[in-house]
Amino acid sequence: MKQFDLVVIGAGQGGLPAAALAARLGANIALIEMGEVGGT
Amino acid sequence: MHLVRDRAYEFGVRGIDPTKIWFDLESAVARKDKIVQDIVDGIYGWIKPNNRITFLRGQAEFTSPVDIRVDGQQITAVKSVIATGSRTADVQIPGLAKIGYLTNRDALMLQKVPASLIVIGGGYIGIEFAQMYARFGTDVTILSRSPLLMRHEEPELSERLAQVLTAEGIDVQLGATAVSAIKEGPHKVIITEIDGQAHRFKAEEVLYAAGRVPRVEGLGLEQAGVAVGPQGIIYDETLRTTAVNIWSLGDVNGGAMFTHRATYDGPIVALNAIKDAGRTVDYRVVPRAVFTQPALAGVGLTEAEALAAGYEVKVGTALFAHSGRAKAIGETEGMLKFIADAETGELLGGHILGPHADILIHQVVTAMYNKGTAESLYKSIHIHPTLSEMVKDAAKKLR
Repeated sequence: MKQFDLVVIGAGQGGLPAAALAARLGANIALIEMGEVGGT
Repeated sequence: MHLVRDRAYEFGVRGIDPTKIWFDLESAVARKDKIVQDIVDGIYGWIKPNNRITFLRGQAEFTSPVDIRVDGQQITAVKSVIATGSRTADVQIPGLAKIGYLTNRDALMLQKVPASLIVIGGGYIGIEFAQMYARFGTDVTILSRSPLLMRHEEPELSERLAQVLTAEGIDVQLGATAVSAIKEGPHKVIITEIDGQAHRFKAEEVLYAAGRVPRVEGLGLEQAGVAVGPQGIIYDETLRTTAVNIWSLGDVNGGAMFTHRATYDGPIVALNAIKDAGRTVDYRVVPRAVFTQPALAGVGLTEAEALAAGYEVKVGTALFAHSGRAKAIGETEGMLKFIADAETGELLGGHILGPHADILIHQVVTAMYNKGTAESLYKSIHIHPTLSEMVKDAAKKLR
């Protein structure tokens, strides 16, 4: 089973900057999106 | 399109026959799709090469505070962020689901301009789409349950906006509650109650724009220990949920459902989750805008809200009709209204209806963020001839 430091659910305009900064801070991240990235 | 059709002659352009101008929605939608695709490609462009980010497509469901199932695949999350946004609120109007309706998403994907459209909802989405389709040539009716369009905005300005939309030919019905929907031949009929009387509104299409709700379904939030309240996910000022290892941000938290709020929340959550930074959100100053023409933008309190909060207030107003720049670009409709604490002079709110109101409001935003008075706005030098001079004018009148 894969383990991640941070799982971000939703790749919209809030999830994306959260994932981007968390990655820059060194975290290992899963970014999950059920529709299209970018949000509505 | 409407500018070319209606105003080219006024600006000295000759050789255009307004009766021969027509609008091709399919081309406009294709252009929009290309812009959206460029944005989406740009996002994949930085996600995919980032070796710290694993992109998974699917519906996520917590099975415990640290276990998440993504379409059958099981992963472990030391910490999580819920950033699932919002969706159109469930339709409460009997018959509407059966006869079919458009959401704002659908209304951006039509291939043909409908001859007539009923817009249910007098908020951001409702009035932006109402004006857009009216300008495409659709016969538009807005049914707003509230007696005001944009009911949280400064009434003086939203009433003016309603007049502008009416003058453009939109049928603006205020205090109009849609009670049921039926199909009548090729048309959709919305039975509507206005002042206790039943009225019938008939159109080819119906846009349902009566609010959005946090997207919390199917996430297994109970198993995660994340509590949901009437507004959305319950969070503290560090955006942590009721589960110690889970944060949430943006629309799913309810309140001010704006993209710019979610974008603001994102880095705060990352710092708190990864660095335990203890950053807190500051929602004192969240601006908002309606992208109509003229645009309506606001930040902070309305005059009535400031009075209700116990402030003694000073009010400063200015009219775009007095701006040389507004005259030059032919957009003189609108006004500015600023509210300040009469005792300290601190700016409490700013409201702008007019050309580029969505840009102009940021002067007020930065002043308010610094807990400023109107002084910096009216003492600083503003470029002439700009619309920004009107911000200075309205601020000056606060004295």
